[in-house]
Amino acid sequence: MSVMVDDDLWSAIGDPTRRRMLDLLLADSGATATGLSEHLPVTRQAVAKHLVVLERVGLVHGVSAGRERQYRVDQVQLARAVAQLAEVGAAWDSRLRRIKRIAEAIQREIDAKNEPRQPDDGSARRKPRRPS
Amino acid sequence: MEFGTIERELHIDASPEVVFDVVSSPEHLREWWPDEADYPSTPGGAGRIGFGDCSLPGAWVQFTVIDAVPHRLFSFRWTHAEGEVAAPDNSYLVVFELEPVGSGTRLRMTESGFRERGWDEAKVAAQYAEHVSGWDFFLPRLAPYSIKVAASR
Repeated sequence: MSVMVDDDLWSAIGDPTRRRMLDLLLADSGATATGLSEHLPVTRQAVAKHLVVLERVGLVHGVSAGRERQYRVDQVQLARAVAQLAEVGAAWDSRLRRIKRIAEAIQREIDAKNEPRQPDDGSARRKPRRPS
Repeated sequence: MEFGTIERELHIDASPEVVFDVVSSPEHLREWWPDEADYPSTPGGAGRIGFGDCSLPGAWVQFTVIDAVPHRLFSFRWTHAEGEVAAPDNSYLVVFELEPVGSGTRLRMTESGFRERGWDEAKVAAQYAEHVSGWDFFLPRLAPYSIKVAASR
């Protein structure tokens, strides 16, 4: 089936720095822009911009805590994004599994027709070998 | 891996003749993908595949065979608009390549065209996230999610 894709959500996750930020936020169950920038090779200002993008698509939510906003990952929205990202590849994985199953079943039928299997009583193995 | 392409490879315990038939004929396509399939399995053969209730106009997706070399190669384009000729800028290209390995077949599938359809850089990168750098991020979260999906079905 054709896959429905949420453009903004995909764009937000398309950036490797933003994916790294999500990882950090998940690991620490929340962080500030300053805290995140300490673990990333980008400035606090760049982190703040990325957080705006992530917040716009609902992947993170910021709450004012003291001098800086504290950001957390929205688990529901993340699950939605992951599902969409996985869908294109997963759809092909299941189609290919079905192709394999169907082809192998057909092959087994062909093999069974061509060489009807004899009940194996071990006699074949006991037969003396012909001199070659 | 070329940027803009989904690639898969698998071994099938069936001859290339059998596998070719399964990936190319409308009768078999219906068993592994759409609910309806109506197209000539020859190069240039234009047709359509249908999903769900095929009495509804939205159920049909355009499907055109590009190449068909028995037992070796089958490719098609899909998702172009009705009335349009399938081309790189309006559809996805799926290529099946078959190679005999012992008594079985190595089947290689690629789907490309994401970039050509005018998706911006970020979206192409996002599509890739699943296959390259993003695996470390997404994989650990996929298993619980698929269990949830399976349970709700």
